[in-house]
Amino acid sequence: MDFTERSTRVYKTKQLYSKEELAARESLCVHEQPAFCTAACPLRIDARQLAGLCAAGDFTAARAAMERAVPFAQILAAGCEAPCTDACRLAEAGAESVSIPALERAAMRHGQPRTGRGLLKFKKKKTAVVFGAELFTLVVAAELAGKSYPTTFCVAENSASELIARCAPFLDTESAAEQAEVLEKLDLKVEYGRELTAALVEAERAKYDLACVSLAVYSALGGGNTDPVTLYDEKLDVLARPNGDESVIGAFYNARRAGVSADRLAQGMPPDSARGDEGPVASRLYTDLSVVSPTVRVPERGVYTREEAQIEAGRCIQCECTECIKGCAWLQHYGKFPRIMTREIYNNVGIIMGDHMMNGAINSCALCGQCSVTCPNGYDMAEICLSARRNMVETGKMSLAVHEFALRDQLFSNGEAFLCRAGPGSEKCRYVFFPGCQAAAVSPDAVWQAYMDLRARLEGGVGILLGCCGVISDWAGREELFSDTQAQLSAALSALGHPKIITACPTCTRTLAQLGDCVGIWDVLLDIGLPDCAPEAVGPVVLHDACGARGDAHTQDAVRKLAGQLGCAIRETEYSGDRAPCCGYGGLAGYAGPEVAAGMTAAALENTSGLQLTYCMGCRDRYARAGAESRHILELVYGVPAGAPPGISEKRRNRLELRRRLLRDIWGEDEMNKPLNFKLDITGEARALMEERMILESDVIQVMSSYNDSGEAVLENDTGLLVARLRIGNVTFWVKFTENGGTYTVHRVYSHRMTIETR
Amino acid sequence: MPEVKSYYVIDPEGKLTCRKCGVGLVKANAVFGYLDNAFPVELPVCPKCGFVYVPEELAVGKVLSVEKVLEDK
Repeated sequence: MDFTERSTRVYKTKQLYSKEELAARESLCVHEQPAFCTAACPLRIDARQLAGLCAAGDFTAARAAMERAVPFAQILAAGCEAPCTDACRLAEAGAESVSIPALERAAMRHGQPRTGRGLLKFKKKKTAVVFGAELFTLVVAAELAGKSYPTTFCVAENSASELIARCAPFLDTESAAEQAEVLEKLDLKVEYGRELTAALVEAERAKYDLACVSLAVYSALGGGNTDPVTLYDEKLDVLARPNGDESVIGAFYNARRAGVSADRLAQGMPPDSARGDEGPVASRLYTDLSVVSPTVRVPERGVYTREEAQIEAGRCIQCECTECIKGCAWLQHYGKFPRIMTREIYNNVGIIMGDHMMNGAINSCALCGQCSVTCPNGYDMAEICLSARRNMVETGKMSLAVHEFALRDQLFSNGEAFLCRAGPGSEKCRYVFFPGCQAAAVSPDAVWQAYMDLRARLEGGVGILLGCCGVISDWAGREELFSDTQAQLSAALSALGHPKIITACPTCTRTLAQLGDCVGIWDVLLDIGLPDCAPEAVGPVVLHDACGARGDAHTQDAVRKLAGQLGCAIRETEYSGDRAPCCGYGGLAGYAGPEVAAGMTAAALENTSGLQLTYCMGCRDRYARAGAESRHILELVYGVPAGAPPGISEKRRNRLELRRRLLRDIWGEDEMNKPLNFKLDITGEARALMEERMILESDVIQVMSSYNDSGEAVLENDTGLLVARLRIGNVTFWVKFTENGGTYTVHRVYSHRMTIETR
Repeated sequence: MPEVKSYYVIDPEGKLTCRKCGVGLVKANAVFGYLDNAFPVELPVCPKCGFVYVPEELAVGKVLSVEKVLEDK
């Protein structure tokens, strides 16, 4: 593994995905799909927003939204056949669908009309004319006027109120009068009392660029062949609606389509070009109906009062898909849905020069894959973040600082602390126990006891393999180190005669599966029975499934069975089994984004109390660190609680000590540590700083050994402290200490990655 | 020779002594380097052995924040 720092002056990128691969991923996220009511509406009126505004009592905003969507909103509200209501998902959950038209009516009644004149619009050069009164032509006239075409509306009626009564006979008197007023305020020239004969229409038509006719006028002109999509009759050069649909919503929808055709014709384009999606669509949105209560509709007597409308609107569940974000502290932290995250990660990877704003997000995902289970479409952010990490490593964009500590920890596990032995006096074994790096680091006693038990009760010899499975390098996107580690472990297993691997961590099981036949220690214990020392009545526990066991129902089940035999009364968490979140250890999230990882731990422990039972030592450690009483199941089985969570140096020492103990007590080999030629005393303050600043005791020892040899240090005259430093790899470590005889008392420690030279 | 800007200046003001050489540290030119970027500074340096002293508040303050910015470049 090359631990040379990269250069920010290497300009290399590699596309993360092709356009198609990106689109395929993004399309899985349905969060931005329209609500079902909106999708069913040919006009795409945002009924979810309308209900939200009404529920909040903001009828003016609701009315404004309606008026922005259509002209004569009151006519639509009064007469709409409401396909939205039929699409409302509440009906599926045993509740009555929300009466959206009733809310529209309430919004129009209780909301204040828009004030002000709006933006100054310049008139277009093309002119338009509309002949004959019906709802369709009325709305078309308003649409064309709204689009700034100088528009003339020729009707047989003699006044605005007569015209409104003709077009919307279902309106009550008050609303009709209001809509007549609206009509009069439009920037529309209405010619009343025109006798619309075919000859007159043809003569008048010639004066304008665009024309639209009512069904009656269309028949008089001899038309009958209007295009069902564009509503354009090429022969007569007019826009007209097809015969048959007399619905109110249909009239508004036809008017909108006629307006789009008018735009195309005005621009000299074929009316069917570039129309986009029109009319109702099928929404792919997912919404969770499990928490819906069976409410009934507020009866509408006249128009809803404000209060009635608020109650009715409050029944709307505001359909949206938040399945992933509900369970994921990482998505919650960034406050974005997977589609947006994916696009931003994709763009981040493409940046050649400049700030990579998404590096933090890419590196703080736990890669746990929970989203791939909670998302109804299986959106997998882990795959995306891991691909991005690998890409960054390959192009030299990945900061070594983020993962170096963890990577060196893996090298430590597979170097100094590595041990691979068959039983004493033998070279091959039928089984090998692979406890995993964290088990040895956090609970070496449990590993010792488990190994002793397995050796005593399994036939054919049980070897030991202490090391890291390599997942750390995999998580860091360092494929080269990962494959080196796999090769190292593969060679070790080969030397042992390819034994069956007994693991104590689901992540190890998954990682080692490619190297040999793995079995969880829980399966072995279920098979051979619990050891005599195992408790029988542990009592209530909260069981946390490991993210490494996602999709591994067998392991999840085996652990439950084993816990049952220990007398555990298991309480499941809200997100259990395949839906379990990560504790914050996964994906090296804790190194790249400690605050994000802390959020993950807190979320996993939310609403839990008492003993937290895990079967991953990473979870056990993080929960204990967060103050919970947590145990790995092996600690329960062998009755050896590991106690307070160890610090970073202790975790290393535990691994070395375990190795030493195994070699000494089983193989009779005692490795003596080279004694230091000075005494070291580290104060509590210094220890806390070491933990916070990720400085190991071995680093401090190296600095002090260097000082001991060279005598190089600086004396702070006012504090009396000596300050020594040593560059170890990519980091310069500084130790502030006092010297008394042969004892160094360490008071403070700090480090930096920058190099420093005189000039 | 053009004047090189110093990003950071600390004067030891006689408060620091080199343990090995027994002389006071003086303000002198130094360069911080990271990921192929260089930042000229003036730090306490031993005039005899050249030991450059980086105070804790600088290491965990400005140096750390510049490191983090560069790491995302």
